[in-house]
Amino acid sequence: MIRLENVTKRYTTEVVALQDASFEVAKGEFVFLVGPSGSGKSTLLRLINRQERPEEGAVWVAGRNIVDMPSNRIPQLRRNIGNVFQDYKLLLNKTVFENIAFALEVIGKPKHVIEQQVPAVIDLVGLAGKEDRFPDQLSGGEQQRVSIARAFVNRPLILVADEPTGNLDPGTGEGIMRLLDRINGTGTTVVMATHDRRIVDAMRRRVIQLDRGVIVRDQARGVYQ
Amino acid sequence: MISRLRYLFRETGASIRRNPTLSVASVITAAVSLLIFGLTLIIQHGFDNLLAQWEGGVEMIVYVNAGAGEEQRLVIEEALGQQQNVTIEAWSYCDVSCSLADADRLFAGDPVTRGQLNELNIPTQYKVVPLDATQVEILRGLRDRYLELPNVYSVQLAEEQLDLISRLQGFVSTYTTGLWIALMVAASLLIWNTIRTAMFARRREIEVMKLVGATDWFIRVPFMLEGLLQGVAGGAVASIAMWFINGRWTAGVETFPANSGMTALVVVDGYEWRVSIIVIVFGAIIGTIGSGTAASKFLDV
Ligand SMILES: Nc1ncnc2c1ncn2[C@@H]1O[C@H](COP(=O)(O)OP(=O)(O)OP(=O)(O)O)[C@@H](O)[C@H]1O
Ligand SMILES: [Mg+2]
Repeated sequence: MIRLENVTKRYTTEVVALQDASFEVAKGEFVFLVGPSGSGKSTLLRLINRQERPEEGAVWVAGRNIVDMPSNRIPQLRRNIGNVFQDYKLLLNKTVFENIAFALEVIGKPKHVIEQQVPAVIDLVGLAGKEDRFPDQLSGGEQQRVSIARAFVNRPLILVADEPTGNLDPGTGEGIMRLLDRINGTGTTVVMATHDRRIVDAMRRRVIQLDRGVIVRDQARGVYQ
Repeated sequence: MISRLRYLFRETGASIRRNPTLSVASVITAAVSLLIFGLTLIIQHGFDNLLAQWEGGVEMIVYVNAGAGEEQRLVIEEALGQQQNVTIEAWSYCDVSCSLADADRLFAGDPVTRGQLNELNIPTQYKVVPLDATQVEILRGLRDRYLELPNVYSVQLAEEQLDLISRLQGFVSTYTTGLWIALMVAASLLIWNTIRTAMFARRREIEVMKLVGATDWFIRVPFMLEGLLQGVAGGAVASIAMWFINGRWTAGVETFPANSGMTALVVVDGYEWRVSIIVIVFGAIIGTIGSGTAASKFLDV
């Protein structure tokens, strides 16, 4: 599903965010990216949806090398990748329903599809009854559920999550993890960057550890360390 | 398709409401520039009325007494024929209906005077194209000779009539053209800036749209529509103002004396409609250029 081949990403000649990184993620896998601050986790996630381009190497997503993908093909790539962020990135002037519907609307989905898929995903993330609330009327955990619902409503092949529990207390974070686990259970590949030792240790999934842009560990059913 | 259109109008409407001051400033600037542009076209057309009689290099007009028949005109045609290829390159006869048509344009702003002319009393014309229009002395000599001929009502030279008018026309067209071009650039830049501001205000939405896979065109089009609407609104305002000003001017010209030389300087033949359409189309163009370049440039906010 995702394959990096000798990928190097430099922001400047001095700042090498990722160096000669290679790994492969199979369809349906759940992968944690761990490592200290500045080790390149977010950079790696941004390479997968072509928010960044590497200087060297190849990035394969769903069978395509996306490094030299023409820009008119990128929207199609991104429709297959859901994104979840630490700060949720919700639109504050839209309700829960509208935030999720927006993701379908702007890729041209017809109204009847929206009216069918949005309530279903709201149910899935456990926000039934709160669809007319605005983000500032929700707790942090609920806001993150909205953002996961928005990322998942189009049934992407891959879900990319950058510290989704970073702003949440441990209990709330666990709820989010159960949700991501369920989404992973539907066959969606999940790649998640995190600093949360407890979560990684509890889930026992594959762990890729970065240190200053270099992959120093790639362990099945790993722990945080 | 319907949901896309609904999305388009909802987003465009929201964007305009979010920043009414900038939108109004854009529309006003567009309107002023387009008004000056439209008035330039109208004034040019007015001058054209004045000059229409002299189209095709005509430098001298011999007016023939009304009612002079073909035989009576033979003397004049003989005199003209003698000069053929000597001083005259070509001459043609403008009969009653042709002369009435000239009068339509010449007295466009003076219906009273025009109303006094009819098939029975209008002088017909011989329009003369000289071999060398710069030889004013020769033309003056010809005029003096033709004035002696029977049935000649009067003889006019372009040189005396047109010198001032063409100079005025050149002056007006140079300066007003400079003015409207500068103002149109300003209007386009203002629309550009309005769209940039609108996109900056909505950068979070744009970021989300890009992440979920909206195409650049999908993101761009509501902003371009907003700019287009501002340009068209400017064009519409300019169009209304132009009708108003043109109407007042035409009413004013009717009160000028018939020999003021200004009676042709009006537009009453439906040309205003064409100018209205041109002005609105130009508004659409400057709106689209301004917003289109902004929407492309600032997609990466
Ligand atoms: N847009 C950028 N321009 C320049 N340098 C950048 C940019 N983004 C990241 N970097 C640098 O690249 C390196 C990797 O950053 P990255 O954000 O990928 O780290 P991270 O592992 O996600 O860190 P954190 O855990 O703090 O989120 C850092 O040294 C960072 O300063
Ligand atoms: Mg990060």
